[in-house]
Amino acid sequence: MNPAEIPILHVDMDAFYASVEVRDNPSLAGLPVCVGGPASGRGVVSAASYEARRFGIHSAMPTAVARRACPDMILLPPDFEKYTRVSAQVMDVFRSYTPLVEPLSLDEAFLDTTGCERLFGDSIEIGRAIKRDILRETGLVASVGVACSKFLAKLASELDKPDGFRVIRPDEIREVLDPLPISHLFGIGERTAKRFEALGIETISDLASMPRDKVVADFGASGAWVHDLAHGLDPRRVAPHRREKSHGMERTFAEDIADRDELRAFLLQFCEEVAFGLRDRGLRGRTITLKARSPDFKTVTRTRTLDYPTGIGARIYSVARELLEQVPPGPLRLVGVSVSNLEDVRAPLQRGLFGAGGDPGRTRSDWLATREKLERITPSLDKLRRRFGRGTVQPARLLGRAVKRAEPAPRMDPDPKP
Amino acid sequence: MNVLCDREKLREGLTIANLVVPPRSPKPILENICLVATDDALELVGTDLEVAIRYRIEDVKVTETGSTVIPARVAVDFIKDLTGETVELKTKGRTCHIGAGADTCELVTAEADEFPVVQRFDGERTFSIQAGTFSRLVNQTAFAAARDAGRYAMHGVLVEFGEGKLNLIATDGRRLAVSGAPIDIGDQQRPSAIVPTKGMNLFCRVLNDPLEQVRFQFDENQIGMSTANAEIFARLIDGEFPKYSAVIPTKTKHCMEADAEVLGRKLRLVANVTGAEARAVKLELKKNELEVSGQFAGRGEAHAHMEVAYKGDAAEIAFNPDYVVAGVKNCEKDVVQLEFEDKTSPGKFTLGEDYIYIVMPITVDA
Repeated sequence: MNPAEIPILHVDMDAFYASVEVRDNPSLAGLPVCVGGPASGRGVVSAASYEARRFGIHSAMPTAVARRACPDMILLPPDFEKYTRVSAQVMDVFRSYTPLVEPLSLDEAFLDTTGCERLFGDSIEIGRAIKRDILRETGLVASVGVACSKFLAKLASELDKPDGFRVIRPDEIREVLDPLPISHLFGIGERTAKRFEALGIETISDLASMPRDKVVADFGASGAWVHDLAHGLDPRRVAPHRREKSHGMERTFAEDIADRDELRAFLLQFCEEVAFGLRDRGLRGRTITLKARSPDFKTVTRTRTLDYPTGIGARIYSVARELLEQVPPGPLRLVGVSVSNLEDVRAPLQRGLFGAGGDPGRTRSDWLATREKLERITPSLDKLRRRFGRGTVQPARLLGRAVKRAEPAPRMDPDPKP
Repeated sequence: MNVLCDREKLREGLTIANLVVPPRSPKPILENICLVATDDALELVGTDLEVAIRYRIEDVKVTETGSTVIPARVAVDFIKDLTGETVELKTKGRTCHIGAGADTCELVTAEADEFPVVQRFDGERTFSIQAGTFSRLVNQTAFAAARDAGRYAMHGVLVEFGEGKLNLIATDGRRLAVSGAPIDIGDQQRPSAIVPTKGMNLFCRVLNDPLEQVRFQFDENQIGMSTANAEIFARLIDGEFPKYSAVIPTKTKHCMEADAEVLGRKLRLVANVTGAEARAVKLELKKNELEVSGQFAGRGEAHAHMEVAYKGDAAEIAFNPDYVVAGVKNCEKDVVQLEFEDKTSPGKFTLGEDYIYIVMPITVDA
C-alpha cells in the first residue's frame, strides 16, 4: 500500500471536556464524570467520561436524565476558557506537522499530510506522532483515523474510540463500510434513515448497490451525495481557512427570565463577546439574528440585515434589542445572538452618502457620531482586552455583572456538498 | 351594466389597472377591479390603498350604465386569451358575463359597495407639464431609489419645486440622481413631496403621447395625475428625505470627460470578471487615459483602457460598476463628465444639461 493514498487524518479528543477536568483533578479518575449544566437549571451534559457513558449517558442529554441513569455521577460546571486554552495546545501540535489543519470544533480537526512525508514520515507515522505529542503536551488521549478522504478518516477515528488508532486502506473500504448502518454517512439523520429504511435500505452496502439514478430521483442532490459516500467517494478537501459562516453566542438560563431588562443585559453581553470574536478573526458581518426560546421549547428567530457590515458590539446590540422587541412578551428559557453574512475586514466597502451608518431618515446624528468614535477607539480597547483580560473594558451597563462565559452557539455545519 | 368594448383597448386598460392591484391582500376586495360604465365610457378602477388608478376607455357602446366588481387576475388573463374583436361585458345578478363571439365566461362579482371609493381629479391647485418631459425626469431618477427594506423615506422620488423649475431626486443612500426641467407654476409656493416609486412608474406607464400636457395636483398626503385617459393618485411617503444637496460635491480636484457609451461598455466588460460577489471596479486616470480594472480573488482580473479628456495628476477611485452603468446609460449627450475630490469622496457624474448623478466610491480597509 502506498501511504500517499491515505493522506487525511481525523483527530478527535476522547471525552474532551471531561478528560481535561479529570486531568486537573486526578482523584476523579475512574469515576463517571460529566461536564454540563445543573439538573436544577435544566442543564444538559456537554461531555461525559467513558465511565459515565457506560451508564448510557451521552452529550446533549439533559442532566436530569443523566442523573437518573447514574445517581453517583460527578457533575462539573464547564470552564470554556480552560478548554479553549487546551484546544490551542492541541491545534499547535497539529500545525507543527502540517499547515493543512481544519478545526471542526475545540477538540476535533482534519489534517492533510500530503507533502509532509520527507519531513515527518508517512501519514500513519504522523498520526502516531501526533497522538504521542498530544499525550505528552496535554496529558490527554486522542483518537486518530487515517484514510483517503475526510469522511473515511472521521469514520476511522469513530470506529476505534477511545484511545483509538485506525487506518482504512483503499482496499478495505468496502469491507469496513458494507456492514455499517447508513446512519454513519454524514448527511443522513434520523428522518432520512427512516425514508431509506422504508425502501429496504439499512446498511451502507444496501445503499451502495442501489442505482445512483434511483437514489437521486428519490432524494435529490443529497441522494447523490450520500450515494457517493457509500462508495467511499468524498471529494471535500481539508480547508484550513474555511470561512466561518456565522458567529454567535447563546445561553439557556437556569430559570426562565421574563424581565426584558435582564434579557437585554444578557444580550448586550453576548453582542460584546460576539463582536470581539469577529474582530479577533478579522471579520465583520451584516446579518444579525436573534434567537429566543420560550419555556414550551418554541424557538423563534428574528433577523435583520444591515446596510453596512459591522464588528462593533454596540451596533449589533442596537439591532438585537430591536429584534427582541419583536419576540412576543413572556418568559424566555434561552436567548442568543449571532452574526452572519461575514466578510473580511479588508474587503472593499461601499461608502454611504449620508454618514457612515446611512439612516438619514433618523435624526440621531449625535448617536452616529458616538458610534464613529466607538469604531475609532475599538482597536485600542481590544489591545487592552488582549493584554489584561476580556473584562478590562466593558460597557458600564455590564459592570458588576458576574462575567460568565456563555457557550459558543453551535456552529453551522460545513457545507456537506462539495 | 351592459357594454361593448374593443378587445385591444380593454386588454391594455386592464393590464395597466392590474399593475396597481395587489396579487394578495389582507383585504380581498382589493384583488378586484371595479368596472364603471357611464354614458360614453368604461372606467376601470383599481387600488391597493397606496396607489389608485381610474383608467378610462372611450369609444365604447353602453346600453346600460352601472358598475360591477370582478376579480382582476382572472379577468385580465381571460381577456388576454380571448380572440374576438369586440368584448361584451354584462352583469347578470351576481355574475358578470364576459364574451366575444361564442367564447364567454361568467365571473362571480364582489359586492360593489365594499370597493373603496377612489376620488376624482378636481382640478384645484394643479400645475401641468409636458408628458415627455415628465417621463424623462422620472426615468433619469427613479432607478436610483432604494428598494431594500428599511430606508422608508428613500423608497420614493422627491418632487421639489425650485425657481421656475421642477426637480426630481432619488437616492438609495449610496447614489443619488437629480434631474430638473423648467416649469411654469406661477408664484405658487409648493412644498416638496416624496412620491412612491411604484406610483411614479405607473404615471409614466400611462403616458403615451409625449406632447400631451399632463396635470398634477398635490394634496396634503397624496399626488394626483390626470391625463386624457387616466387619473392616478398616489399616497405620499410621510418621511424625511435626506439632505441631499449637502452631499453634492461643489469643489473637486479631478475632472474627466469620456465618451459615455464607451465608458459604459468598458465598465460592463470588466464587471464580467469581478462578478456579483466583488462589485468594485477601479478607475485610474492618467493624462488623457483611463484604465478600468477589477479583480476577484481566486478568479482573475480584467483591464480595459480608453481615451479620455483629463489633464490633472494621476488619480484613482473605485465604484460599483452597476451603479455607474445605470446612470451613464441615461446620459443625454455623447460625453459624460466625472468629477471627484479623492478616492473616498463622492463621484459626480454630469449626465445632462440639468442632470447630475452622484455615486459613493468603494474603498478598501475603511
